[in-house]
Amino acid sequence: MNTKIKPLINDEYTGEPATKRVLAHLQAKREEGKKIAGVYCGYAPAELIRAMGIVPATLCAFSNATIEAAETVLPANLCPLIKSSFGFIITDTCPFYGISDAVIGETTCDGKKKMFELITDRKPTYIMDLPQLPDEKEALANWTVMIRKLQTFLETTFKVRATDEQIEAAIKDTNRKNVMVRKVMDFAALTPPVVNWQEMFDLTTLCQGSTGKEAAPVLSEALRILEERRAAGYAYGPGGAPRVMVTGCPVGGDAQKVFKIIEEAGGVVVALDACSGFKPFMMDIEEDTKDPVRALAERYLKIPCSCMTPNTRRLTEMTRIIDKFRPDAVIDVVLQACHSYNIESHKVGEHVQKNHGLPFLKIVTDFSQSDVGQIRTRVEALLESY
Amino acid sequence: MRAAGIDIGSRTVKLAVIEDGTTVLARKALTSHDPLDAARTLISGVMYDVIVATGYGRHLVKGHLGCPVISEIKAFALGAKAIHPPCKVILDIGGQDTKAISLNDAGEMSKFEMNDKCAAGTGRFLEIMANALSYTLEEFSRAALSAERAEKINSMCTVFAESEVISLTAQGAMRHEVALGIHKAIVSRSTALLKRIAPSGEVFLAGGVAFNECVRALIAEELNRSVVVPTDPQIVGAYGAALHAATLEEGKGVK
Amino acid sequence: MSNYIRMWSALGLDLKAHDALLSILGSAYQDIFLSQKNRPEGMKYFDFVMSEVHGLRIKELMDAKAEGRIVVGSYCVFVPEELILAVDGVSVGLCAGAEFNFEGAEEVLPRNLCPLIKSAFGFKRGLVCPYVEASDIIVGENTCDGKKKAYEVLSPMVKDLYIIDLPQMKSDTGKTLLKEEYKKFIAKLEGVSGRKITVETLKKGIEIANAKRKAVKRLAELRKADPAPISGLDALLVNQVFFYDDPLRFTNSVNTLCDELEERVKKGEGVFPKGTTRILMSGCPMAVPNWKVPMIVESSGAVIVGEESCVGERGTQWFTEDKSETVAGLLDNITERYFKIDCAVFTPNPSRIEHVKEMYKKCNARGVIHYSLQFCHPYIVESGPVEAELEKSDIPVLRIETDYSQEDAEQLKTRVEAFFERIQPG
Repeated sequence: MNTKIKPLINDEYTGEPATKRVLAHLQAKREEGKKIAGVYCGYAPAELIRAMGIVPATLCAFSNATIEAAETVLPANLCPLIKSSFGFIITDTCPFYGISDAVIGETTCDGKKKMFELITDRKPTYIMDLPQLPDEKEALANWTVMIRKLQTFLETTFKVRATDEQIEAAIKDTNRKNVMVRKVMDFAALTPPVVNWQEMFDLTTLCQGSTGKEAAPVLSEALRILEERRAAGYAYGPGGAPRVMVTGCPVGGDAQKVFKIIEEAGGVVVALDACSGFKPFMMDIEEDTKDPVRALAERYLKIPCSCMTPNTRRLTEMTRIIDKFRPDAVIDVVLQACHSYNIESHKVGEHVQKNHGLPFLKIVTDFSQSDVGQIRTRVEALLESY
Repeated sequence: MRAAGIDIGSRTVKLAVIEDGTTVLARKALTSHDPLDAARTLISGVMYDVIVATGYGRHLVKGHLGCPVISEIKAFALGAKAIHPPCKVILDIGGQDTKAISLNDAGEMSKFEMNDKCAAGTGRFLEIMANALSYTLEEFSRAALSAERAEKINSMCTVFAESEVISLTAQGAMRHEVALGIHKAIVSRSTALLKRIAPSGEVFLAGGVAFNECVRALIAEELNRSVVVPTDPQIVGAYGAALHAATLEEGKGVK
Repeated sequence: MSNYIRMWSALGLDLKAHDALLSILGSAYQDIFLSQKNRPEGMKYFDFVMSEVHGLRIKELMDAKAEGRIVVGSYCVFVPEELILAVDGVSVGLCAGAEFNFEGAEEVLPRNLCPLIKSAFGFKRGLVCPYVEASDIIVGENTCDGKKKAYEVLSPMVKDLYIIDLPQMKSDTGKTLLKEEYKKFIAKLEGVSGRKITVETLKKGIEIANAKRKAVKRLAELRKADPAPISGLDALLVNQVFFYDDPLRFTNSVNTLCDELEERVKKGEGVFPKGTTRILMSGCPMAVPNWKVPMIVESSGAVIVGEESCVGERGTQWFTEDKSETVAGLLDNITERYFKIDCAVFTPNPSRIEHVKEMYKKCNARGVIHYSLQFCHPYIVESGPVEAELEKSDIPVLRIETDYSQEDAEQLKTRVEAFFERIQPG
């Protein structure tokens, strides 16, 4: 039976959007005299940044509120994440951007690539040329060079250095963190799950913005509570609720409407297969190699983002997640105007339906509330079919 | 010389005649399904030496009257500037399209943007919603003005917004609050278009929708800029076409 | 004609659908091109090419294949024609410009995608393009997101899809990557054709490609005159035929056309009256048979005097040097040349704006129409800063975004007319 549930993270931000906690954390770092580097994407090599004593801050924005301002410059027909981020910047309302001392971007998708051109003159900015064919040997060599070039940029801008030993230490720290986060995910893999999407999202958001050392106490406590729940026979969600895996574009802030709708329709979200969810924690970086930057490059190139081609790893990773979390249905969330995830969705759907025999739904959406009714209808139909 | 301008819009046809700088005639009619016939009816019996056509039906009329044409953008720019000389920015919310026009320092048309692919943000949107709430257009505007809070309309699309309005009232939402929500929606669409070409400055509001007092009030409030509305915002295009006609030689344009 | 039917059948075309496409093309050509007044005589060659676009030219491709030469189809000006020529191959452009069988395309691709990509898929899935079916290798490239991911879907549908990777930034690493990719492409071409690229064959390929470019640059120069001796539509057609006609014959025909245009210019003869509003088009490429916007522009009282586009100067303005005596050295020359192309997929892309300004001055244009295909993020987002920068330099700009349908023709006409009203004196 569900009695009073202890929150996994119990601090003054419990119940608030996950980003508030992260912001507070960053502000505290700033007060300590640390420099902040704004990053947009899972490809930014956080370990290098941290090894230099700089704190990475995620600038990806998920608020519908700033989109109107963005649309006075950017076309309306563009990814809402890009518009929201840009809108925050031009209205000077993004606290993360505000406290960033530099900005790091990558040539991931066309939209972001061209948007970066519009903001490079505001703060010291470094754009990394991301390879598009991750399995070619040149990709690894080139991305390793790129990370070293980023290192030079950060050294010049902030007058800080990092030795390979320090980078190695940061790698180990991340790997420890990943192990613990994956342990949290194990509780979602249970039947029935004992952790909900909001809790997982809050934890992954915090862990993205913290070192392993900083996150360890929070994660330990969360794991302890989860174990208690499991032992007490606690179950999240209605009995027999269909288990849903959500894949696709990053989902946060106002886009979380999709998760809420899934729950309102009687489902329970067991896997967040996106850069805003599990993806950053699913793979470890090779330790104790002769070239830790190369080890970083190798790990980061494995991120199965649709900006990569042919991105076969997306399907193999999805299989791994399906095998572990055993969803009853898969929903692919594609942000409006995102060509890469949208085109890729076709083969994702084929893979999920043909190779895993699971019902599949693609949802193309934005951050507004205007399509909530339509999404609800589709999700309900999907869950009825299982 | 009597110079005439005819603006064949998708909802209404407007005619203006100028003589020696004064407007001597202004007429309007519904375009109906036969714009050519509506235009002919409107000009029958009217004396003019030159006529220029503008609006979405201008080429159709040109083919039959043999008259010169100008785009409705130029027509509105000319008309607005003449009515209100300090004018730099024009927002025209018409029956089925919305345009924002900015003028350069010489008062000539410089940048413009149109939304003619979508009914949201146009007069048609208001008509459909008024109907869905069982109001006439005048009642609709007055009801919206009377509301203290607005019922938020989420749908961007006119068709979906209509369904949304119906479900809101079925769930017990107050009609006048829904009315205000609708007016806010149309204002936010049209001001978004405006901000793309003119982020600041006084706005000259034209087009049939400018008759709507609630829209006028909300635009001023939303933009936080001064808004100027002429006595007849709907005739501005025809008036501008007439002004252009006045610059042409006599004999251009068949009676 | 019956020869062609057998040939089309042998290529696996859907004859009924193909007939439908040809008839649409034929009537469009009639309405758009043949109705123009005072066309240069030299355009008759291009009329002929278009009338035989799926006939005689295809027969030539089939004859080439029978002689053991390969046909290489591609979608982008980053694919070096010199390399294909160096294995004695035939290079054909597959970029598509018609809204045909979009239903077929939309079964495997999202609806909200660039019409050029959907058209290519529509042609392929509808089995109506003999160029696609005749290609021994189809070359894709990692340019924009749409194409990059669409090639993944195309791959199982065609005989041999080969992808060239491209850098996204114009850095030294980028140039090295491009050269490496070209090296790999050489290996592919040699493997499939069974021929080796040598200094001789590569120099020959460079010479042929340069001669083509020289001819179209000559054409571009002659359009500077007022009155313009040739319409924008006709010049666009020449630039489109550039991609799939026999290179030597094409070069000759363009030079013959230019001889005639030189005479016209001397006599002050043009296709529109002197003083007609002169427009420079800039932006996304217009693949054959996409003639929609130039037709609207040139029937609204203006003449197009240049294209800053891949089907236009961006694709042809540079020559490849052939200073080296080694294949590696010549490949360096080729890489240098192609690396200059300033497509919006590169970030940043400052040289593009400079080229537009140069062309504007050179062509004596009075306004720029920035043309983007719907859903093309690189060009659409870039159009903002391009417009702002050009307007700051007193160059009037109209930005339009459209697809291949006729749905928005009137709306485009209104904008284009309003733009001309703005830029015409008085």
